[in-house]
Amino acid sequence: MTPDGPPVPLSEHELAAALEREGYFADEGLCTAVHLALRLSRPLLLEGEPGVGKTEVAAVLSRVTGLDLIRLQCFEGLDSGQALYEWDYPKQLLQVRVAESRGQDVGELYREEFLLRRPLLRAVQDERGVVLLIDEIDRADSEFEAFLLEFLGDFQITIPELGTIRARTPPIVVLTSNRTRELHDALKRRCLYHWIAFPEAGRERAILRAAVPGLEERAAEGLVRSVQRVRGLPLLKRPGIAETVEWARGALALTDGGSPWPTALRRALGLLIKDEEDTRLVLTHAPELFDNA
Amino acid sequence: MPGPVGLAAGHLWAFLAALRGAGVATAPPKQADLLRVIASSPPPGPTKLYWYARITLLQDIGDLPAFDRVFDTWFRYGGQEPVPPAAGDDGEAPSPNGAGQDDPPALDALPGDGVEASALSTYGRREFGPAGDERRPVMAALRATWPAVLPATPSRRRRPSRSGDRLDIRHAWRRAHRHDGEFIELRRLARPARPRRLLIMVDVSGSLRLHTPDLLRLAHTALRAAPARTEVFTFGTRLTRITAALAHPHADRALRAVSGQVTDADGGTAIGTALAHFLANPRFVALARGALVIVLSDGLERGDCAPMVRATARLARLSHRLVWWSPLACSPGYRPVTRAMAAQLPLLDHLGGVRDLPTGLTEVRRLPAVLTAPRHTAARRWPTPDPRDPQ
Repeated sequence: MTPDGPPVPLSEHELAAALEREGYFADEGLCTAVHLALRLSRPLLLEGEPGVGKTEVAAVLSRVTGLDLIRLQCFEGLDSGQALYEWDYPKQLLQVRVAESRGQDVGELYREEFLLRRPLLRAVQDERGVVLLIDEIDRADSEFEAFLLEFLGDFQITIPELGTIRARTPPIVVLTSNRTRELHDALKRRCLYHWIAFPEAGRERAILRAAVPGLEERAAEGLVRSVQRVRGLPLLKRPGIAETVEWARGALALTDGGSPWPTALRRALGLLIKDEEDTRLVLTHAPELFDNA
Repeated sequence: MPGPVGLAAGHLWAFLAALRGAGVATAPPKQADLLRVIASSPPPGPTKLYWYARITLLQDIGDLPAFDRVFDTWFRYGGQEPVPPAAGDDGEAPSPNGAGQDDPPALDALPGDGVEASALSTYGRREFGPAGDERRPVMAALRATWPAVLPATPSRRRRPSRSGDRLDIRHAWRRAHRHDGEFIELRRLARPARPRRLLIMVDVSGSLRLHTPDLLRLAHTALRAAPARTEVFTFGTRLTRITAALAHPHADRALRAVSGQVTDADGGTAIGTALAHFLANPRFVALARGALVIVLSDGLERGDCAPMVRATARLARLSHRLVWWSPLACSPGYRPVTRAMAAQLPLLDHLGGVRDLPTGLTEVRRLPAVLTAPRHTAARRWPTPDPRDPQ
């Protein structure tokens, strides 16, 4: 593989600034990870708890680089016909019929015009290169990972009837996983790996500032402190960044309606915690969680 | 690598070797990635180098503590031996095969054949005795129930079918040849359901003494019902694969064969070590991947329960569903409040009570509901212990 991969040769600082302009506040580890993925032309495997912004990385990268985003959402039962390519059988049969009625030779039935392009093949064939997001790979069955290996290793797809199709411009590939199951070593070996942790307080405040205009600095500080404490509880689902933002928006809307800030925070709790048992647990700890928030 | 970099390069190679030594697997292409990055843009300081190395080399967040330790040794303390990590070195621990040189797991001291005893274990063989007539109807019912409750997944290989979702154009085309190229009938392909594997792990330690024979009989009915896709292991102080021994059609003969193989029956408990041993073997890991995993154990771990919880967490990630059947959970007053059970309850998909064959039958019949429910919801059936007081 040649190291001339990156379509947009950004330095790491430029990359961080560009991400921030698009409203994505990445820490040093994530910046380095994205930068290396671009420079080495390697797929980037992102793991982390739900709601830390794994999927968003691909969307932001597509805006930063100006390349199209192709998304493959994984699910149980996903197969190669839905992810790579499939032959368009009805079209082939029609072709046979047409040739028959005109008395012509049918010709080759397995050629490109009868190919249905699924996300991975589209990513390989795009001349400009694309950002390909393979989302929640842990939801697909573990057998499905085998279909990805050739693509992730060499950015190529082999179709038995046609031969090997290799990407002219290597796509930028981002895989995400919630780590609900363990991925095969063979897949992990082909990717750069980064674990996105929950953001530390300073970065979460920056995200809030950008996402919720009109939120006072002191209020944001208290709110972030509360969220970080809530994450320390043994919850079934710990709140992610999206939940923090929603909570801040909700509470802000309630204060506009006349509620004082701490009350507004408690009333909007349903936006932060989305599970009955978790809510009960948070409420039993409410005084220590929400004091001076 | 040329001239002035030579010294640094030597250091780097030694670092990579140390990582291997600490059990952090790094494939050669990943090492090449790191060297390419460093060669094309030398890192200005250890922090940047850390991120370069971590992102290119690390494959699993579970390996991070081991990775950090090695990195600190080689790049943050000038290559000297670091201060040994504190006793309660918390955070997520390295994978079992990477447990590091500082504390080899007890099982590493065992010879590979697993026949000789460790310091922990007592050498115990045990005859399990005949099943008796009263058990036969329940065992027959179990054998009849298992096939209906085991999960399936769509096969990757399509087969001819009347109601498939895809045209079998090759087949249709071949048939058309017989009629001068006229398509008389279309053929279809479908993805038939392929059964998932079933992995049963039976605790044979002393605390389950009364229940062990029935738990093994329960495993026997599963193995009889689905012989090709069921695997059975026992664990006490060590791990034993008993699938072959248990395969005899007659339960009593099968149990006799098992008692010849299991040498740690009625001894101590080292669930964490036994499970870690299981997970360190890639061939065993493949058996758990995507399988329905059933652990029959009371979860009473002696000493530190952290290795057991870690092993359970990995088992939960590997499996399709992880079900824990405990004889203790049969009693109505049972609460999963021992440290180990409380810590791993959020990882389980179901915690049920099984102490003999009838309770086993009840739980087997409950499996379909477990298989359709969302994952990691065992905690919902059991009252949450107060997090501030975990005992």
